Amino acid sequence: MAKTKLENLKLGIFVVVGTVLLVIAAYLIGNKQNMFGKTIPISAIFKNANGIQLGNNVRFSGINVGTVKRIEMINDTVIRIHMIIEEKMQRHIRKDAVASIGSDGLVGSMLINIVPGEGTATHIGPGDELKSLSKVATQDMLNTLSLTNINAALLTEDLLKVSQSLTQGKGTFGRLLNDTLMAQELHQTITNLKHASSQASSMIAEMTALVKQVDMEKSAAGVLLKDSISGEKMLSIIAHLENSSFEIQKMSENLHSVIGEFKEGKGTLNYLATDTTLVRQLETTMENVTQGVQNFNEVTEALKHNFLTRRYFRKLEREQKKEDKKAVD
Amino acid sequence: MILVNKDPLTFLYLYGYRIGNEYFVTMWSRLKKFFIETGDLSFFAARYFKEALKPPFEFRELLRQCYQMGNRSLFLVGITGFIIGLVLTLQSRPTLIQFGAVSWMPNMVGISIVREVGPVITALICAGRIASGIGAELGSMRVTEQIDAMEVSGTNPFKYLVVTRILATTLMLPILVVFGDLLALYGSALVENIKGGVSFQLYFNTVFNALNFSDLVPATIKSFFFGFIIGLVGCYKGYYCKKGTAGVGVAANTAVVMASLLLFLVDFIAVFIADIFYEL
Repeated sequence: MAKTKLENLKLGIFVVVGTVLLVIAAYLIGNKQNMFGKTIPISAIFKNANGIQLGNNVRFSGINVGTVKRIEMINDTVIRIHMIIEEKMQRHIRKDAVASIGSDGLVGSMLINIVPGEGTATHIGPGDELKSLSKVATQDMLNTLSLTNINAALLTEDLLKVSQSLTQGKGTFGRLLNDTLMAQELHQTITNLKHASSQASSMIAEMTALVKQVDMEKSAAGVLLKDSISGEKMLSIIAHLENSSFEIQKMSENLHSVIGEFKEGKGTLNYLATDTTLVRQLETTMENVTQGVQNFNEVTEALKHNFLTRRYFRKLEREQKKEDKKAVD
Repeated sequence: MILVNKDPLTFLYLYGYRIGNEYFVTMWSRLKKFFIETGDLSFFAARYFKEALKPPFEFRELLRQCYQMGNRSLFLVGITGFIIGLVLTLQSRPTLIQFGAVSWMPNMVGISIVREVGPVITALICAGRIASGIGAELGSMRVTEQIDAMEVSGTNPFKYLVVTRILATTLMLPILVVFGDLLALYGSALVENIKGGVSFQLYFNTVFNALNFSDLVPATIKSFFFGFIIGLVGCYKGYYCKKGTAGVGVAANTAVVMASLLLFLVDFIAVFIADIFYEL
């Protein structure tokens, strides 16, 4: 009886441990597929599913946060991929995050990568749709690679030509590499440059010495360079000059406008200057006035000889003579 | 001789006919024997279900058998599983290193052990140990007429001896498979730890990342069927053992052979069905 009890105890331990191990394995597998934790559903629309399968991982910033739950074909270019992600990750993923399909390593299974956006949008909620980025498909990549290869071949060909020219001493660089005479000349030039720079250096030293020799207190240059009152005056002069130049400018603008108006035919002056009829009228008037004056002179002469007014004119002559006499005295 | 003397061609024809006829007769008799055995086994299985569902239930004997078949096989299954895991990893390493894919070792070993190697190796070990044991035990009981004595005394020998044993193997094998899998993975992890410097945590984490329910569930269901086959064949061979001491040996031997063959057949069918449901 005791033996049977011991056997039963051992059997019990065996069965319980075995079952617990099986349950743990199931839990670990299920947990990986987010079957037990709290999750929220989200989705994203892609043009190409790139071989993604149910149960593939969803990664956010490189961390597994969920799995693909359902793949729905809406039409020939729109595929909606439904995912479930851990509820605790909801507060990290924002609505402007971008989903893309990638693969886990070079030969790994496909997965969905969610990349954080700018971080200004609100957090995602259940049923939200993320923006998606359709990556370049393998075929497109191969096509691009093929084009790159062609370009690389062309480039290599050109490079070969360039290197051949260089070796043969063609062109400037070729001559630089191969022409020994040119190298000597270049060497000479550099030597000259060195000499010139040393000359410049000594010149600068002399200039410095000269500047040091300037009498800052008495000489004109010193006054100009050092005297602060003169500087202020100069500043004031410059300010006045500036004002004057402003005034001149205004004046010239006014003049310009006047001349403009004058040119455009506005005002009396322009009328006077440009109207030829008026000039003719003025000439006629002047002729008439001259004639009128002659006539008036004739009338005056006539009046002098007239018996009525003759006395008045004689009186005037006499007064004139008296004044002339006084002036002579 | 008379025929030879008459005509060599006629002799060849008639002799060939005779040989051919004998061949077909032998084939037919073997085929007939196979069909009869299959039919007998089916009836035996049907009787098992009939008796298993009908009270009274022999719980005490069931527990004893579970202990005998479960606990007593644990060491053998454990050591086999451990060595299988160890060897599988050691043998795969050079090839995976050549491909630069040695980091995929936990995925490969984990999936192969949980899906196939673990259940099949455990079942074969149990077929060798349990089916032969049951065949020999029941065979000797049949030979020494203990089964007949039980029938006379009013005890149902089928319920007491067969149902308890088949049920025990059916229930114990999946648990043995779990232990076998765990120790095989441990053996594999040990090699990776020593040779590749991979920590146990990383190894098991990678294994469980690689595993899916499509790996675990069909393997567990398959293990129940394996256990059922082992118990059924062992009991069938022992229960219908031929008279004589030689019959016991034959029963034990044929039980192992037949159980092993049927295991592979069931495995084949199980993979097909799992493929339909899970798209492996």
